Amino acid sequence: MGSAHSDSAAAFTAHKILIAGGFGSGKTTLVGAISEVRPLRTEETLTAASAGLDDLSGIGSKTTTTVALDFGRITIGSRVVLYLFGLPGQERFSFMWDELSYGALGVVILADVRRLGDCFPSVNYFERLRLPFVVAINCFDDAPRYDIEELRLALDLDADVPLVLCDARELSSVKQVLITLVETIAVRRSGSAGHIVTPRT
Amino acid sequence: MPPGDKWRPRGTGPVVRPYAVTGGRTEPADGETLDLLTVVVTTGQTAGADDPARLTPEHRRILGVCEQQVTVVDLAADTALPVGVVRVLLADLILQGAITVVRQRPAAQRTGNDVLQEILNGLRAL
Repeated sequence: MGSAHSDSAAAFTAHKILIAGGFGSGKTTLVGAISEVRPLRTEETLTAASAGLDDLSGIGSKTTTTVALDFGRITIGSRVVLYLFGLPGQERFSFMWDELSYGALGVVILADVRRLGDCFPSVNYFERLRLPFVVAINCFDDAPRYDIEELRLALDLDADVPLVLCDARELSSVKQVLITLVETIAVRRSGSAGHIVTPRT
Repeated sequence: MPPGDKWRPRGTGPVVRPYAVTGGRTEPADGETLDLLTVVVTTGQTAGADDPARLTPEHRRILGVCEQQVTVVDLAADTALPVGVVRVLLADLILQGAITVVRQRPAAQRTGNDVLQEILNGLRAL
């Protein structure tokens, strides 16, 4: 049986951008710089979290665990709402990525040059999913600086994946990261550059 | 735990186990798992008029928030209920005809170039 669908028009449309990256890479900071962050509790079944690892026979299939994640909301005009979801970075929560990735426009993968390897699982995952993404190096105050081409080499990114430097605390910087992502999505959609005019600020 | 990635411990914490408010049910009664970005709204029909006892305070809280069109994710945040719990309670209210899902294009087709352009303009104006 299906749920009743109303014929009333949607007052707004909701769209989703994911913020991925290793633990401590600044995901919550980034979401907070551009929107009001709100905590979201989810209940996840252990069967999904531990498929193939834990023997749950005899315990039943209803065992759940609480996972908290952050999300932010940006209202654009009166009819478009953009949601930013911080993906839980720890490996043990990666089973949630599938659900959160469903229907997502694209992904910002945050990286810290001191622990560049922490973003590799995200890069691999979203490459496989063929979801458009940008890699944003969060420039922590006490982190060493590297040339962007050096970083691109170290990350082994495809040529069409934008790599940008950012400060996850700064609205203007986060804004530019998101704009770069949306432009990337637009280019990917149209199959070539230049479909959407992009004046640089 | 670095301060930038804090997992907001709730001072008060939930007093009851999450699924206590659903009577232990973890699956929506209609078998449909609503997406986080699904938009729902009240229909104006009185829910559970035949059996008011079936409406819990959590059901009523959800009905209150749903008077305006709202996404499942905002609903969960507004009511401070876990998403899984919200899905179960929403399904009850949908089956009773008190709440309805607002028809939208599937997520994959929702964001046309016009919407992308609108998002770009909106971001630039922030």
